[in-house]
Amino acid sequence: MVALGYYLAARVGFAFTLQPHPISTLWPPNAMLLAVLLLAPTRAWWWLLAAALPGHLLAELQSGVPAAMVLGWYLSNCCEALIGASLMRAFAPAPFRLDSLRNVGVFLACGALAAPLLSSFIDAALVRLIGWGEAATGTWCRTRVYSNTLAALTVAPLILTWSNVDLSQLRRVRVARAAEAAALFIGLLAVSFVVFGLPAVNANAMPALFYAPLPFLLWAAVRLGPAGTASALAAMAVMTIWGGVHGLGPFSGQPPEETAREMQLFLSAVAVPMLLLAVVLDQGARVERDAFEQRQQLTHLSRVATLGELSGGIAHELNQPLTAILSNAQAARQFIANKTGDPALLAEILEDIIVADQRASEVIRRLHAMFKRGETQFEKLDVNVIVQDVLGIVQGDLVTRSVAVVAQLGAGLPQVYGDRVELQQVVLNLVMNACEAMAATASEERRVTISTATVAGAVQITVSDRGSGFTSDQHARLFEPFYTTKPRGLGLGLSISRAIVLTHGGRVWCAPRAGGGRPSISRCRPKNDRDR
Amino acid sequence: MVHIGPWSNYPPPRHLLQSGIVPPNVAIVDDEEPVRKALKRLLVASGFEVESYASGKEFLATNHQPPDCVVLDLHMPGMSGLQVLEELRASHRQLPTVVITAYDDRRGAGAVSRCRCERLPAQAAGRAGALNSISASMAQARSPTPKR
Repeated sequence: MVALGYYLAARVGFAFTLQPHPISTLWPPNAMLLAVLLLAPTRAWWWLLAAALPGHLLAELQSGVPAAMVLGWYLSNCCEALIGASLMRAFAPAPFRLDSLRNVGVFLACGALAAPLLSSFIDAALVRLIGWGEAATGTWCRTRVYSNTLAALTVAPLILTWSNVDLSQLRRVRVARAAEAAALFIGLLAVSFVVFGLPAVNANAMPALFYAPLPFLLWAAVRLGPAGTASALAAMAVMTIWGGVHGLGPFSGQPPEETAREMQLFLSAVAVPMLLLAVVLDQGARVERDAFEQRQQLTHLSRVATLGELSGGIAHELNQPLTAILSNAQAARQFIANKTGDPALLAEILEDIIVADQRASEVIRRLHAMFKRGETQFEKLDVNVIVQDVLGIVQGDLVTRSVAVVAQLGAGLPQVYGDRVELQQVVLNLVMNACEAMAATASEERRVTISTATVAGAVQITVSDRGSGFTSDQHARLFEPFYTTKPRGLGLGLSISRAIVLTHGGRVWCAPRAGGGRPSISRCRPKNDRDR
Repeated sequence: MVHIGPWSNYPPPRHLLQSGIVPPNVAIVDDEEPVRKALKRLLVASGFEVESYASGKEFLATNHQPPDCVVLDLHMPGMSGLQVLEELRASHRQLPTVVITAYDDRRGAGAVSRCRCERLPAQAAGRAGALNSISASMAQARSPTPKR
């Protein structure tokens, strides 16, 4: 595969050669070899370099260059890839990824600058030794450095970034995103063709034209990440050089060396900032994604921990229907054995068994959604259903704690736009907090009131208890993470609840009430008024 | 009321009726209607006279002939089963009792043993479990050792 890739890359390189100049404007094989070495483990390097030899021979021997020079070039090309790859491996861990500013810096310094520069001296020395060509060593070196640097800047990032892309994920890309990428590339190619692929009107007239593809490259950097940017850069480089080679575009009309050098300088100057920009933006987005992912995990863990505290009550909720089913079934059997079971009674018993079974599966359904760690899914929700589901889960525990619950559910509430499980978690947290706040309250006095109402167009859920209330210090720190007044609490429930409510565009606050009551109020605003 | 026991071999109702034995009277106190109904059916099918009550308050308030045995749910809102037991003890109306414990709950185990109850974990509240517990509690109540 390496040999084939090298051969094809070399053919592309020949296609981009401005005759009679022996060095291509863009010589991709070296950059391809560099990228392959960077992706492979160090012990495989020798095999990979050896594998490139057939490709090199096949490509170069067709061009009528003396065999000694062909082998010399093979040596210098391998040297370049080796120098670049070893330097980069020294500064960055394997496998090399173009995903941080530091790695791009290492890549630019070692792969795009040092490697072409150092190997060019070897190359020039070999040319001199073999005595092929007549260009001066200085010119030879310079042309070769430009050519290989440009290749390193366009070809290597293309391979390195795409090797990092999960192809299975690519298949699940949304249509809108694919359409955006397609529009971007069509636009970029069209603009590049107009600028670089049409006969030059006047070579020096319109320097502003050079900037025409820039918006598309910036677009790619902002929206498509490093892989998209590298692809866009490669596409533009191909268009530019193709135009130059065919005597088209603003770079033509000069001696070949001049044309090649100007294209190389132009493309390199564009590629470096674009790659840096894309990687910096990608890095920022990744940090954000990681933080989001961690918040999700924490939310789930806190939810599962709360459910763990409720396990006794939940077991009770599940045992009730199971007891009913068992007793009913055994009663029916006994009635039949006694020959006292008339069909109407047996039908009634069976009906009760069915109802009890449905109740058990309802308990399991509610719990399953809460335990599961799923993606956040926003949908239109009835707040009253959320409150009722939560009450179903905590009911057993409330009875154990001798806490009475009063639900005052408002009628005709607008639907809210939110994640069902996360909103349930918020209500569950508030109810549990309310219960725990009443541990010192006399058992006849323990009561949690949950009310839902529309306040100024937004849905408001209020959870209030008859606990002892807060001091002003507790009140101020209530929503801080790891702040807890409970002996065994983690102090995460309320801070996670607040984060959830904030992502729902609502707010949660606590209103101390005269007379020692302590309503915690969570208020969720519907996302838009159309939901009403 | 005359008890003829032991009841551990569950005499069928037909046999009971034919023999002229007065069936034992059991009170069920459970807040959960489906469970209350199902237990009542099971005990009726097994030959008991059954009265059921939806709460401890209701049970205590009813001016009835004391049942031979109470099947009592501990896990009830308002007045819990334990409170019912304490109330009975305080008013010297201690009855043979089978408590249905909701789950593996150690809370109140002391109070339960003080009141000399049989514990019936909900997961074992099938026919054999219930009837064994009921007959055991009644047998215990008849035994001469502690004061009634």
